[in-house]
Amino acid sequence: MIKLPSLDVKLLRDLKRLRAQAVAVSGVLSCGVALFVMATGMYDSLDRARNSYYDTARMADLAVSVVRAPDPVAIQLAALPGINALETRVSGVGLLDLVGKTDPVSARLVSLPADRQPRVNDVLLRAGRWPDPKRENEILINEAFAEANLLAPGMTLSALIYGRQRELEIAGIASSPEFVFAVAPGAMLPEPERFGVIWMGRESLARAFDVDGAFNDVVFRLAPGANVRDTIGEIDTILARHGGRGAYARDRMLSAQFLADELSSLKTMASILPPIFMLVAVFLLNVSLSRLVATERSNIGLLKSFGYSNAAVAIHYAKFAIAFALLGAAIGVVLGRWIGSQMAEIYAKVYRIPDLTYDAELSVYMWAVAVALIAAVLGAAQAVLRAVRLPPAAALAPPAPVSFGRLGAGIEAAARNLDGKTRMVIRRIVRFPRRAATTVIGISLALALLITSQHFPISMNHIVDVTFGIAQRMDATLSFSETADDRILAEVARLPGVFSVEPVRAAEVFMSAGSHERRDTILGLPPGAFLNRVLDDKMNSVALRDDGITLPFKLAEKLGVRVGDRIRVQATDGHRAVAELTVTAIVKPYLAGTAYMEMAALNRALREPGRVSAAYVLMDRNERDNLSRKVKELPMIAGVSFLDNASASMRKMFNEGSGFFAYMFVVFSSLMAGGVAYSAARVTFAEQERDLATLRVLGFGRREVSYVLLAEIGALLLIALPVGSILGAVLSRWLMTQFQTDLFTFPYVTESGAYGKSALFVACAVIGAVLAVRRGVDRLDLVGVLKSRE
Amino acid sequence: MVLLGPSGSGKSTLLNVLGGLDRPTSGHTFFRDLDLANAADVDVTQYRRLHVGFVFQFYNLIASLTAAENVELVTEIATSPMLAQEALELVGLGKRMHHFPAQLSGGEQQRVAIARAIAKRPTVLLCDEPTGALDVATGVHVLDAIVTANEKLKTTTLLITHNADIAKIGDRVVRFADGLIRSVEVNAQRIPPKELHW
Repeated sequence: MIKLPSLDVKLLRDLKRLRAQAVAVSGVLSCGVALFVMATGMYDSLDRARNSYYDTARMADLAVSVVRAPDPVAIQLAALPGINALETRVSGVGLLDLVGKTDPVSARLVSLPADRQPRVNDVLLRAGRWPDPKRENEILINEAFAEANLLAPGMTLSALIYGRQRELEIAGIASSPEFVFAVAPGAMLPEPERFGVIWMGRESLARAFDVDGAFNDVVFRLAPGANVRDTIGEIDTILARHGGRGAYARDRMLSAQFLADELSSLKTMASILPPIFMLVAVFLLNVSLSRLVATERSNIGLLKSFGYSNAAVAIHYAKFAIAFALLGAAIGVVLGRWIGSQMAEIYAKVYRIPDLTYDAELSVYMWAVAVALIAAVLGAAQAVLRAVRLPPAAALAPPAPVSFGRLGAGIEAAARNLDGKTRMVIRRIVRFPRRAATTVIGISLALALLITSQHFPISMNHIVDVTFGIAQRMDATLSFSETADDRILAEVARLPGVFSVEPVRAAEVFMSAGSHERRDTILGLPPGAFLNRVLDDKMNSVALRDDGITLPFKLAEKLGVRVGDRIRVQATDGHRAVAELTVTAIVKPYLAGTAYMEMAALNRALREPGRVSAAYVLMDRNERDNLSRKVKELPMIAGVSFLDNASASMRKMFNEGSGFFAYMFVVFSSLMAGGVAYSAARVTFAEQERDLATLRVLGFGRREVSYVLLAEIGALLLIALPVGSILGAVLSRWLMTQFQTDLFTFPYVTESGAYGKSALFVACAVIGAVLAVRRGVDRLDLVGVLKSRE
Repeated sequence: MVLLGPSGSGKSTLLNVLGGLDRPTSGHTFFRDLDLANAADVDVTQYRRLHVGFVFQFYNLIASLTAAENVELVTEIATSPMLAQEALELVGLGKRMHHFPAQLSGGEQQRVAIARAIAKRPTVLLCDEPTGALDVATGVHVLDAIVTANEKLKTTTLLITHNADIAKIGDRVVRFADGLIRSVEVNAQRIPPKELHW
């Protein structure tokens, strides 16, 4: 058996003695490591799974829809430089009848090639079988829709396609990278209960949509190094004659956008949160090791007098920090992997990416350990240096008594009325300001994190409340199969239960300003629109002027324009009319906003007067089923969506992710607060053990003696609560901007409950930790302490 | 009363038992009707609070409190204490009362400890090697303070020492060896501390 060097035997014994403190320090460190391992590993896993999904299923780089292009046009498109592969398709929207469902259910119908897999945007079979090309009513449906509506292979669906009723038989369940998020036209978020994707044979679908021998949708894979902008231009030129609506890249594909957003949030999380925990761990290590070196003073003198070198002493004490760091890293890696696998399950459920499991690369773990070790070295440096600098003779002599001084005259005057025990507490805090500050900062940061974690759900609820309560106030939106003459509004008004109708015109356009170019949607709303309103920062309705365009701020940023600037707008279809418009207002919507114009002005710019794309209605809710039934009979209405469904599905999506996070943050923040308080209380107790024992000998009871210990941490807690609340407000506000993506802007909104609850929680964690240390008062060795010199 | 004996002879153990800091493994110690060996912790604490004054070898002053505040710590919880200033004047430190322990010499610190012990007008004053950490001149000063307090307050005073010379200041001397009391002698003539040499 190998015999350990004596110093290492001492190290192991001391570590055993210091185990409670090791747990406190390592606990905080492990939270930082866990967050790092989880976020970085999850980022890698999601990125890898997405890329591999995109590769194996040949996710489109470009897509375009077109009114009707004859099949031979595909040969022209395929010949374009930069195109690697393309798939022409027939695509459209149909209404479905599901047993037991009265709310209208719609689906995007996408054609499948007759005799092969799609060359672009491939479809992966998850259950059942591929449709038989000879049986034209066989279909595949997407997984989320199947699960939400309990549909399985062998079941049938009744669909209304282009005004004709069809019976469809489900052959299999499938998924595709194109529909990682299957979102109904005009909607913001997936509602799998009410919107699905149906793949069916090309011929049968072409007949249904009346585009025999033609296609109305193309998806492309680009060759490596292809110039996206030039290729889009060439595609648009070829398709212009056939009613092409303008090709677009992945940045306009909602599924790809959502995944990109999620990845950017993970990256933000990995870069912001772990450092906060690491910082606190560095403080804690500093305090713990400084105390250790102070108590080991005579040992250090002895070691040096025996001939141990300064380096040997330094390494010995650095090993304590390294042991804490390795323990923290080990716990953190295990914890991070576990949280990561939980998150991967949530992601797999939301995004339905095949093979999405948490699988971090070795480098993630190595970085985690490296970062923990760096934190340990930073935290230990000061104490280790102090041990090195101690001359052996001085170390063997007892330390000079800690000298206390009077506080400022003002404080002393105020302290005169206090009892001796309270004066002890105040003088200690003032005498060791850095340590007091460390405790205050640690507890404050824990509180700030907890407050911040509460702000995300508050912010999300606010987004839903504002979007579906203040901005949008319609009961239902009826979207038309194609833009219609505004006389259709009178028909809508006659539908069962409808009180009030408001038209809306939506147009896809290219916008450009200088060298910036974007493809986006403009919504045209009538003057004084009531059911869908554009809001300013103060939630007041913005009146749309008839001489310009209102832009959401992200679009304005991308175009590089400000109020008063001019932009060029060209429609992607119809007359492809071009107009120069003045930016009359810039607004800050929470959800990826479209541009807005006064409806008549938009129609003038498009050279299509009197056209509408959809109607918002207010209605008698009791007539909802009647309306849904009636709408299915009207071919001009492509879909109906009810606002309450949309708002419920958005809340559901927000809750799925944020619920788990909120829970995790409660645990992590209490670990941080508890760890900081425990370490601080341990050090305070160790330093005052003699004083506390003296007080007991002088006749003070346990409760009175405990007061001295508890009051110090209690006073620091009282300082930390307001500091942490302010820090929480600042941190939340800042993080909201950091987590902002193309699709979401998180507003900073607050509730006093977020602060109250968080403060209560942190206070409980601190009190719990301090009470654990307080038990030492019951075990004070009155005789032993008095016998020994300090 | 002086408890005299070499290290490990049991003097401190007896003092701790009498002071309510320790409990004997067998037998009883009574303070009036209170059986210190079997009393509840609260009662023993109360006994120390109201009746016992302690002086230790290493002073055990609270570093964060001034001399006066160290004394007040005890007077705040006593029933009929003297003023902190009065106690400090009794040990000759009236002018140093606002100094912190780190600003006082060893002898001065020990005299503050004596002032703190007598300020509550204790029934018994227990001193464990009060001069153990001090030089002769300073030690004499400290013993003088203890004798003065004993005479002025009529407090029963027990003083531990292993120094036979110091034993001369007591009325009675209890000699210890190997955990047993070997003899109890009455000093025919007490010698004031100032005349001691060791």
